[in-house]
Amino acid sequence: MGVRVTTGRTLLAAVMGFGVALSAQAAEYPAIGKLPQLKINNAKAELGKRLFFDKRLSGDAAVSCATCHVPDKGYASKEAISPGYPGNGHFRNASSLINVAHKKVWNWDGRIGTNLNDMTREMLTEDYTMNMDMRIMQERMKQDPVYVQMFKDAGYGEPSNGSVRKAIPEYMKTLTSANSPFDKGKMSTSAKNGMKLFKGKAGCIQCHNGPLLTDQKAHNTGVPENFDVFLDPMNHQAFIAFTMFQGIPNYMNLKRDPGYFNITLLDEDMGKFVTPSLRELKYSAPYMHNGMIKTLADVVNFYNQGGGKDSNKSDLLKPLKLSGKEKKDLVAFLEALSGNKLTSDKHVWKQPYPAEYEAIANWTEVPN
Amino acid sequence: MRMKKLTLTLVAAAVAALFAGCQATAAKQESATAPAKMSATKMAMKTAGPAPLAPLGKAPIPPDNKLTPEKVELGKLLFFDPRVGGDASTGCSTCHEPEQGWAWAEDFSRGYPGTVHWRNSQSIINSAYFPRQFWAGSASSNEKQAKSAAKGGVAGNGEDDIMEARLALIPEYRKRFKEVFGTEWPIIDDVWHAISAFERTMNTTGEHEVPLDKYLKGDKSALNEEQVRGMALFNGKAGCINCHNGELTTDLDFHNIGVPPNKRWEEDGLAQITFRFEQYAKGQTEKGYRAAKSDWGFYYRSKNKWDKGKFRTAPLRYIAYTAPYMHNGVFYTLEEVVDFYNRGGVDEEGRTTLFPKNKSPLIKPLGLTDQDKEDLVAFLEAFSGPEIMMEKPEQPPYAPLFNMAELKAAQEAK
Ligand code: HEC
Ligand code: HEC
Ligand code: HEC
Ligand code: HEC
Repeated sequence: MGVRVTTGRTLLAAVMGFGVALSAQAAEYPAIGKLPQLKINNAKAELGKRLFFDKRLSGDAAVSCATCHVPDKGYASKEAISPGYPGNGHFRNASSLINVAHKKVWNWDGRIGTNLNDMTREMLTEDYTMNMDMRIMQERMKQDPVYVQMFKDAGYGEPSNGSVRKAIPEYMKTLTSANSPFDKGKMSTSAKNGMKLFKGKAGCIQCHNGPLLTDQKAHNTGVPENFDVFLDPMNHQAFIAFTMFQGIPNYMNLKRDPGYFNITLLDEDMGKFVTPSLRELKYSAPYMHNGMIKTLADVVNFYNQGGGKDSNKSDLLKPLKLSGKEKKDLVAFLEALSGNKLTSDKHVWKQPYPAEYEAIANWTEVPN
Repeated sequence: MRMKKLTLTLVAAAVAALFAGCQATAAKQESATAPAKMSATKMAMKTAGPAPLAPLGKAPIPPDNKLTPEKVELGKLLFFDPRVGGDASTGCSTCHEPEQGWAWAEDFSRGYPGTVHWRNSQSIINSAYFPRQFWAGSASSNEKQAKSAAKGGVAGNGEDDIMEARLALIPEYRKRFKEVFGTEWPIIDDVWHAISAFERTMNTTGEHEVPLDKYLKGDKSALNEEQVRGMALFNGKAGCINCHNGELTTDLDFHNIGVPPNKRWEEDGLAQITFRFEQYAKGQTEKGYRAAKSDWGFYYRSKNKWDKGKFRTAPLRYIAYTAPYMHNGVFYTLEEVVDFYNRGGVDEEGRTTLFPKNKSPLIKPLGLTDQDKEDLVAFLEAFSGPEIMMEKPEQPPYAPLFNMAELKAAQEAK
């Protein structure tokens, strides 16, 4: 729904294209390590938390961010293809939001490279996610005394759609990895072996590097299409609306997710997706942009075969010839990157929302 | 400082002068907002008096959207299909319910789920005749009206791309759009064309002709004595003809007749939300947004303060089925409407428009007797004939566009 800025597309493409070339050649990769601490404004994050779980932020007040980004599922959804706004489906897996504030590029295809404010705007306004006219959203917030107080406490003054798009990102900053065996230095022997493979024989480090375990660049790994995107008209309609809006040529006949191609419109970028973070994966199955791989063991098998089938597939992927034990070790390492679930009050708004909007008393007397 | 004050006083004087003669004011505003042709008609009216009521002719058909039976049939399907909207729950017929006069029988129309509308739902019957649609006349054709209805946040809340995508996945629509418009895939603008074509057939003509029109065409038995007396009042003592005139029973002009704000805005949180949203949606300034406590009507378009609280003179045919009345549905019966006019644009509790200065000088206490009032109501009933009913068509089903073999082949070809 937002206006696409062509210069943004070109710029992002240039930055990312350059990076891909670099990482293919470089021998040293950014070290896997702890994530830096983020500074958080508690009042803003608390407000963001209430907003994140509030269905009144969608057009027909039926879905919240948490409908698709489920705390118990690592802030992703358990379905391969995300649920959609009522009357619609979706065409991609709902990304996990844990550590999302550490990223520089968002969405599986990397189409947002600015900030989480823009990301939040997209989620709120897109037809098949929340379909919200933000002017109505703003007026809804003003009608809830709890919000009026919370916006004030957060230093935002009167509720506004602009501050909604600031408060939710502040909340998302609180969704960070905590206590993983890797971060605590308490990995099992198997996991330690797995880490060696990860950096060595299995070559995962070529793309999954740095504290987030992602180069945040786009690659084609040959993940097969999820046919449910096309066989279920609810999903397909969302896909058509998306590709139509993105200006993908011949979108009505498209039978695959174009991925990063959507940003550059270059054939060589067809089917590329941005390397996801590998932290906190324990809870966010199924995996990949379309949920086509069910378990971490299956993911390792997928890479062991050299990825999937695609003429555009990255040269970095080759059959790995891992033994049964090596595969187990690799999975153990991936699991050691997950800590505790973020499902307590600290991260989840558990108080009920009012069932109705309270009327503003002496409405005729007070200014709107 | 002094200069500024001086100009202000001058402006105030000019505005006061404008209010002095309503006819002149109306003509002035017209010339500011409408083509010259319109003001010429106005000038003629001024000297010759209002155009007498006349029977409803054929609905005008714009040259760029010819009527064909196939197009009308397609438009009917779309009118009744809630998938023309955001969450596939709220289509045109949801708020223009055939059994509720092709409108919605509450003061404010129901809204998109999670919202309530802020105006009364108008009937679509005879809408084809009005070059100014909506209560404040903001749409100039059925086509433009349909588009804004389907997209508005408290109405259809649909986006072009998703609605177009949905229709493409419904084989029946693909077939029909191709037949009617010759395109391979349904195009959203053609949705508005087809719906408008359907609406242009939804008129009080032919078998649905209203008694008044029969009478005007010479069938003197179409009105009873009471109604004939009511007609005389309408054209005379009650002065209704000043605005409700001509073939369309409306001068299509904008007047403030004194309708008070709906009290629901004082009591209903959901309605308060929409009220404020509409101020922004209609392009209010921050100042106006803070201050507004009633629907400013035509002002939102003209931005002239003398237009606050003005609405398009409502057409009167088919109103027997479309209660409640007025832009905000404050009156539930025609008796209440007549009492309101008889008090000079004031309701039972003495409430009136928040902009009394803008009130039309044509609206003043009428001194009608009880008998007069009954006669007038009886005459208002003659503006409605048989109820227009229609069986709702079945929604054509979705079907996948590609089959498994095609998808597998594409996967192999990657
Ligand atoms: C109807 C389901 C749905 C809802 C509701 C939803 N999302 Fe999402 N979200 C998704 C899907 C699916 C993606 C992946 C989209 C893509 O890659 O094209 C996503 C992606 C994201 C991303 C990017 C993650 C990344 O790592 O790139 C962020 C951030 C995000 N959502 C935040 C939110 C917020 C905040 C809200 C509420 C305002 C929200 N989402 C509501 C389904 C949803
Ligand atoms: C060429 C770069 C590259 C290499 C090498 C690589 N990956 Fe990936 N990885 C990706 C990309 C890109 C995706 C997302 C693909 C998609 O969604 O279609 C991904 C996805 C994943 C996922 C799914 C995460 C999620 O949230 O769904 C896991 C797990 C994973 N990779 C693990 C590994 C392991 C283990 C290795 C080494 C055996 C490895 N990757 C090697 C680029 C790479
Ligand atoms: C959520 C309820 C709702 C929906 C959905 C809706 N309408 Fe309306 N309609 C209204 C209301 C309320 C008005 C008056 C609005 C105003 O004046 O601002 C109206 C006005 C109209 C008018 C103007 C009639 C006149 O005399 O000027 C027409 C025609 C109309 N609608 C047709 C449609 C069509 C066609 C659709 C579907 C594309 C539609 N409506 C969808 C509620 C609705
Ligand atoms: C100054 C012009 C004017 C005069 C005179 C006038 N009307 Fe109206 N009439 C209007 C306008 C404008 C509206 C719509 C007002 C609104 O919605 O706020 C209206 C609305 C109505 C309605 C409601 C229609 C509906 O669909 O809701 C009825 C009924 C009506 N008038 C009857 C009469 C009768 C009877 C008289 C004479 C006693 C009369 N009018 C005199 C301008 C006028």
